[in-house]
Amino acid sequence: MNGFFAVLIAVALVGINVLLYRMNRATPVPEGCENLKPDCSACGIRDCAVRSQMIGERDK
Amino acid sequence: MNLFTLFISAMLINNIILSKFLGMCPFMGVSTKMDSAVGMGLAVIFVIFGASILSWLLYYFVLVPLGLEYMELICFILLIAAFVQFVEMFIKKTSPALYKQLGIYLPLITTNCAVLYVAMDNITQEYNLIETIVNSIAVPAGFMLMLCIFATMRERLNANDVPKAFQGNPIAFVVAAIMAIAFSSLAGLV
Repeated sequence: MNGFFAVLIAVALVGINVLLYRMNRATPVPEGCENLKPDCSACGIRDCAVRSQMIGERDK
Repeated sequence: MNLFTLFISAMLINNIILSKFLGMCPFMGVSTKMDSAVGMGLAVIFVIFGASILSWLLYYFVLVPLGLEYMELICFILLIAAFVQFVEMFIKKTSPALYKQLGIYLPLITTNCAVLYVAMDNITQEYNLIETIVNSIAVPAGFMLMLCIFATMRERLNANDVPKAFQGNPIAFVVAAIMAIAFSSLAGLV
């Protein structure tokens, strides 16, 4: 029973994550905020979408 | 522990950046200008405060009654990620001005280890809800304070004649190390 609840909680949290992610992506960005650029550097997080975008633009 | 003591301890004496060395990524990456440092600091305060309280509630009202304390790490990670998505969506819909200031930093905060640290620390220190709230404000406030101090230092460094080998991140790391040494003198006060 304990294991069932563990799986249930994990699945529920993943489901909430996916749902919120999709809702967030579906929400339009406010006017004037379409091309916001971060002022960051020296970050080592390879998964960061902002960093990937900056590196992509720099390579172009 | 006295709440005021807890606040001062979490904000200054056990500062998350200078004594725990957590959240170094935004500390180095977003401290080049004061404006971005303030934006990032505010976003971190908001996210840590919300995520920590939700994590505390999840732990004591769901995981403990079900005997699933060992699930705290995975649950907190998922909760923080979901909370950041929700906050970003909420700000997009309600306040474009706030989104302009904070929006770009919100996805970065999901990967900020400081958020997870505060959520876990509230549990390991066995804080009650009031202490959790105080700790969840004090830690990111200390983060923002250090970020702003460091940003002003870097702005001044950029205006000075730094030897070429030290320009940019090397001199920033040297300055951060000196700040950490200065703040280590506060250790043991509380």
